[in-house]
Amino acid sequence: MNNHLVSSRTFLTISTYLTGYNEVELLGTGMLETYFNVFLEKFSPKTLHYFFAEVDEILLESAGDEDKINAAIAARLIPDSAYDGIAKNIILVWYTGNWGSDVISTQSYQQGLMWDAAEAHPPGAKQPGYGSWANLPIRIPTK
Amino acid sequence: MEKKIKEEFDVVIVGSGIAGSVLAKTLTNAGKNVLLLEAGLQAGMAFDPEAAYQNYQYYLETFYKASAKVPNSPYPNIKDAQSIDVLDIEPITQCNSPSTKGYLVQAGPLPFGSDCLRGPGGTTLHWLGSTPRMLPNDFKMKTLYGQGVDWPISYDDLMPYYEMAENEIGVSGDVRDQVGPDMGIQNYGKDYVFPMKEIPQSYLDQVCIEKTQNLTVKLHGKEYTITCISTPQGRNSIPNPAYKFAGTYWNKKAQKLELAKNDEEYEPVGAIWDPNTGHRCEGNASCVPICPVQAKYNALKTLRKSDPKRLKIITQAVASKIYTDETTNAITGIEYKKYKYENSTVYDTAIARGKIYVLAASAIENAKILLTSGIANSSDQVGRNLMDHLVMLTWGLLPEKAYPYRGPGSTTNIPTFRDGEFRKEHAAWISPIDNWGWSWPVFSPGSDVSSAVSSGMFGKKLREHLNDVLPRQLLLHFECEQTPDPNNRVTIDPQYKDQLDNYRPVIHYDASEYMKKSFEAAKKVSDQIFAANGVEDYTAYSVANDPDYVTYKGQGYNFWGAGHIVGTHRMGTAKENSVVDKNQRTWDHDNLYLVGCGNMPTLGTSNPTLTMTALSFKAAEAILKQLEN
Repeated sequence: MNNHLVSSRTFLTISTYLTGYNEVELLGTGMLETYFNVFLEKFSPKTLHYFFAEVDEILLESAGDEDKINAAIAARLIPDSAYDGIAKNIILVWYTGNWGSDVISTQSYQQGLMWDAAEAHPPGAKQPGYGSWANLPIRIPTK
Repeated sequence: MEKKIKEEFDVVIVGSGIAGSVLAKTLTNAGKNVLLLEAGLQAGMAFDPEAAYQNYQYYLETFYKASAKVPNSPYPNIKDAQSIDVLDIEPITQCNSPSTKGYLVQAGPLPFGSDCLRGPGGTTLHWLGSTPRMLPNDFKMKTLYGQGVDWPISYDDLMPYYEMAENEIGVSGDVRDQVGPDMGIQNYGKDYVFPMKEIPQSYLDQVCIEKTQNLTVKLHGKEYTITCISTPQGRNSIPNPAYKFAGTYWNKKAQKLELAKNDEEYEPVGAIWDPNTGHRCEGNASCVPICPVQAKYNALKTLRKSDPKRLKIITQAVASKIYTDETTNAITGIEYKKYKYENSTVYDTAIARGKIYVLAASAIENAKILLTSGIANSSDQVGRNLMDHLVMLTWGLLPEKAYPYRGPGSTTNIPTFRDGEFRKEHAAWISPIDNWGWSWPVFSPGSDVSSAVSSGMFGKKLREHLNDVLPRQLLLHFECEQTPDPNNRVTIDPQYKDQLDNYRPVIHYDASEYMKKSFEAAKKVSDQIFAANGVEDYTAYSVANDPDYVTYKGQGYNFWGAGHIVGTHRMGTAKENSVVDKNQRTWDHDNLYLVGCGNMPTLGTSNPTLTMTALSFKAAEAILKQLEN
């Protein structure tokens, strides 16, 4: 890649649209660099280049219109034939902390967004305290 | 190569799980010298705080990194003393018989579905921690229902030892809530309480209880009223001020074990690395396979309370053979292989000697060692009657969010079908309500994510979808009591050995009509509970889903192993029908005791650890009497 800094920024932006989690939530996992590096390692520089170029184009032409962005993502990034499946893999990595069935790191397991989506916590980490399970989960408003 | 250990001990124990640890603690504190042989790695036996903490953190990190978070996933599985791994279970087919993928050689026709842990602390490291007692009627299955056998002891005989076990494990629960068929305050004694107050029942339990408590269900033309009760558990909660017992001690004068009275409040037993950590369950929701703070009981907590001056522990020592005196039939020594390091093929052979010998190596390993040595088997019962709870699972979506994946694995159970006349026809079961969503049968929530993503879902829609579905997941278990069958058994075969030249267990296993009929019955009950709660049923059984797949009256069912490995050296009334007597001493050898779940003649519907612990105290008492007379 000719410019990692730019792409890591783009990686974060497209991750928000792909995962449904905002930048603060994603940055709060502390996993951005780790996951970005996973993609640099797993996909060819060429495919990554074309993928991020497509992402830049989608963001530019949609000018912040979320519906337009989502329609473009569905049509141009989500199909399995698009960019070796990078987009779907970005979603899976953020939600599960896994690459395929491999856990990326002890941290990635603990930061999987699927536990947040379930309004729970990763088993064995971020424990909510004695008796917490007898009550409704505490939810911090994100807006 | 053969070396003799110079010291002679009063008692030699094989295995540091809960049975072996209860014996080591009780016997050393009564002044006896004990040698404990443990097959697992030395690192797991660390008791100095720093080493114990480091080792346990290593387990925890291994768990985090495990792609399949199965019960043994945090713990080393070494080739010198392999553990059973549920990931090795596969369907047994014509071209795959026996299945030799894992440690067990599975001859079928169905694969045995449970695992246990060979290592310091044994399977209590990964157990869930549910500690219901057996029911009085469970001890009389033959007399009352014409199934299996009666125990040589009654519930009343075991009662004082149950109290010792509940003290040792540190049970949290509400005695007054233990009501159901053949259950009630009479099973406990008027003023009895558990050491700690009940673990709070989950929010999910409360949602289910609302429409399930006192629900009438029909089964085979009879009506039953469903009840939901809190489950007693071996994890730390708030001490009950009414609990007045300190610990179990040997009353030399009376020649019996007794619970010492205590005027002070019960103090929860903390982590092995720090007595102040783990005084309360903190809601890690990972009891199986590992409690990060050790609020859940494990056997190392017991072992640590042994008298260190009287206990010698040798780790990385795999018991391989037992020697007997041909004229007296007495045991003269236990041969063990001490390997140098993890997975090493290099080992020394030595013989441990004592006055009395105890096998506490797990139901399957105990049977294997006896079969290898050709001893204790005049009844031909060694290895036979292997049992487990056959767990039928049902899962669906609740109409409202109940927020699973939080709290201990299960905090409430339905005891309605634990006992009744129907036991003449089909197996009884206990139904825990599960707090961990669909993780067991279908690997949720990861599988929910991947199927939604495969379907093209992304972004806010994906997040909303998961937030809608995951908090509504409901899982019920039906833990069906397997009855003893002599053909469900552990054997050995010279073709199958491990790298220390010890036998691998060969397992023959099947589910009888009596069991299959209980799956049909349990599914009918599940359907009615689901209907009353407006639950959309997602249960799907197939051999692809789980290798333990059976059909009954044209319907297919899956069952899963409960990890309750029981019955391979049954206790009985006579030398002809059993391996051990009611004190768990082998009929054939006056100085050989067997402890652990292998002694249980039948299983009942309770998780067996509490009962096995009670029996271990009974064995300890008998051993002390024998040593002193």
